Amino acid sequence: MKRLVVALLICAVFLWFVVSGNAEEGKLKVGFIYVGPVGDFGWSYAHDQARQIVEATYPWIETVYVEAVPEGEVEGVIDRLINQEGVDIVVTTSFGFMDGTLAAAQRYPDKIFFHCSGFKRAPNMATYMADFHQVYYLNGIIAGALTKTNKLGYVGAFPIPELKRHINAFTLGARRVNPNAQVLVRWLQTSWYDPAGAKEAAESLIAEGADVLAFTEDSPTVVQVAAEHGLPSFGHYSPMYKFAPDFVVSGQLVHWEAIYLDFFAKVYAGLYTSKNLENVDYWWLLREGAVELGADFGMPINPVFEERLKSTIVNDPVYGEISVYDLVFALLKAMADPEYAFSPFTGPIRDRKGNLRVPEGVRLTMDELITMEWAAEGIVGAWPGEPE
Amino acid sequence: MGSLISGIIGRTLAYSVPLLLATLGEIYVERAGVLNLGIEGMMSLGALVAFAVAFSFSNPWFGVVAGGMAAGGAALLHALCSITLRANQVVSGLSLGMLGMGISGVLGRNFEGKVLGATLPVYRMPFLSSLPGFEKHNVFVYLSLGLAVFLWFVLFRTRWGIVIRSVGENPAACDAMGINVSTVRYTCVVFGGVLAGLAGAYLSLGYRPSWSYGMTGGIGWLSIALTIFAFWNPLWGLVGAYLFGLLYQLSFRFQAHVSPELLNTLPYVFPLIALSFVSRLAARKRIGPPASLGVPYKRE
Repeated sequence: MKRLVVALLICAVFLWFVVSGNAEEGKLKVGFIYVGPVGDFGWSYAHDQARQIVEATYPWIETVYVEAVPEGEVEGVIDRLINQEGVDIVVTTSFGFMDGTLAAAQRYPDKIFFHCSGFKRAPNMATYMADFHQVYYLNGIIAGALTKTNKLGYVGAFPIPELKRHINAFTLGARRVNPNAQVLVRWLQTSWYDPAGAKEAAESLIAEGADVLAFTEDSPTVVQVAAEHGLPSFGHYSPMYKFAPDFVVSGQLVHWEAIYLDFFAKVYAGLYTSKNLENVDYWWLLREGAVELGADFGMPINPVFEERLKSTIVNDPVYGEISVYDLVFALLKAMADPEYAFSPFTGPIRDRKGNLRVPEGVRLTMDELITMEWAAEGIVGAWPGEPE
Repeated sequence: MGSLISGIIGRTLAYSVPLLLATLGEIYVERAGVLNLGIEGMMSLGALVAFAVAFSFSNPWFGVVAGGMAAGGAALLHALCSITLRANQVVSGLSLGMLGMGISGVLGRNFEGKVLGATLPVYRMPFLSSLPGFEKHNVFVYLSLGLAVFLWFVLFRTRWGIVIRSVGENPAACDAMGINVSTVRYTCVVFGGVLAGLAGAYLSLGYRPSWSYGMTGGIGWLSIALTIFAFWNPLWGLVGAYLFGLLYQLSFRFQAHVSPELLNTLPYVFPLIALSFVSRLAARKRIGPPASLGVPYKRE
């Protein structure tokens, strides 16, 4: 008798778990997969901030996340999210998750997949990206005006088209106001998160004379190193103002929630289904509010540097005599314009080998932007995969 | 040219500190006959505790002490398993490593992205500061350098050193001589843990004042390799750590001229080559690992 009671109890508890494990009726359950730890203060952190905003905004959404997933193991994590957590939408937030996500999308044709920064899609798999090249261009303008040595330093994690595009935009911006500006580049080629590498790379740039630093790596290391030497720098991905309030000039900030809120609402409304995502690709920029120029949210330029930038007057080919400060805001407005009044990649642009990459009056298309391999004039340093 | 050389030396000194500290600790642990593969975890724990305490009390020195103690406490766990309970040291050490990483990751959630107001200060040392590369440094730079020499002296020129080495070679003979094998081993394991914790504290309070999961970046694992490279000798450990640090930061400095892919492999390839040369020398001189390394001692 006693044994029977215990057995029944165990069954009841088990059943309760099974029942309560399923999503609430009518709610959309979304599972996020991050490549890094949510505390990296970079890429994965920004995605997780957006996830929290989404959950707080839409009462009909429920989210779960898995962090620090190695790129080769994404399929197993997707299986778990779908079979055990019962999610309806899987969001994979790293380029390296692309093939795993596509394979899972084919295995679960009724579920919806949303992959960040890739180019492979399926009827139930859409892609999205919030790109920084416009913001980098503005940061480049500021950096070009601030440098005294005419050497800007850039620490990049991996030599892939995304970073090459950003460094090119940064360089083009710097040389718009300072034709003598050079951008010295150092690659880590280890990991998106490599504080020790970023530190030594930044130190080596400073030793070579760079006096303004920008970077693509998922920690505030470069900002901290620059501040130690009393040099200005630009934050990346998250607001890094607080790490060096006197030295972070500006930076690139992301609003992934802009994309998530739009996409999930359209899924909830039935506009996007697991049948019609083949051509859904978000490529959101300043205009859509997916990215922001700033040292902190709502602080496009650190007030510490305002005076200096206002008193630096340049002779701009379009705006004539104008202060760097005003030029940044004029271009910010032009790029946030609904018609894309200005693109940093408007010809004529030559690469550093002298080839004409963008002819006069031509503007690069999105496809050309996301496959960019060449290095703009003014870039100094190794450039793996540089075309002849 | 002068500033180039002093810059290179200065960065080598600053980068190599955690590697050197952890290696010195592991040398003592292994000299006493215990293998501790959990350095990465202890270092991570030390880094977190040091940061958390320094952040809460706005005093970096409290952090240094707490970080060393936390990692020393973690090492005590390994000592208990491997010395008293005579568990498999590889398994115990590896689990300590995973435990340290996991615990620091979970407990450190609230400290990620926090800004540390009080960081470890940099000092100019009299006499030393006139040498190229020694202009001014975190106190740990001088400390680790001095410690390497001091620990070498203790290990090879004092009675304590003989006791430690003997316990690692032949614990039964030591036991017969009236030396308490367990006490010596416990002391060395905890000491190794404290040094790993100090290495972590240096990372989170000095080298890059912040805490984030995974900030130790494999230095703990590297120090295990370096212990072998150094043939369990603190002075060779010093050479190895500085050699690695030199090549590591040169790989960034020369990137504009040499392929970065090649440069990235140098810090790992070069010690490997050096190791193969040194090992031939060692074979001739009959230097090898402590005879009882990894073997739990049991009185017959």
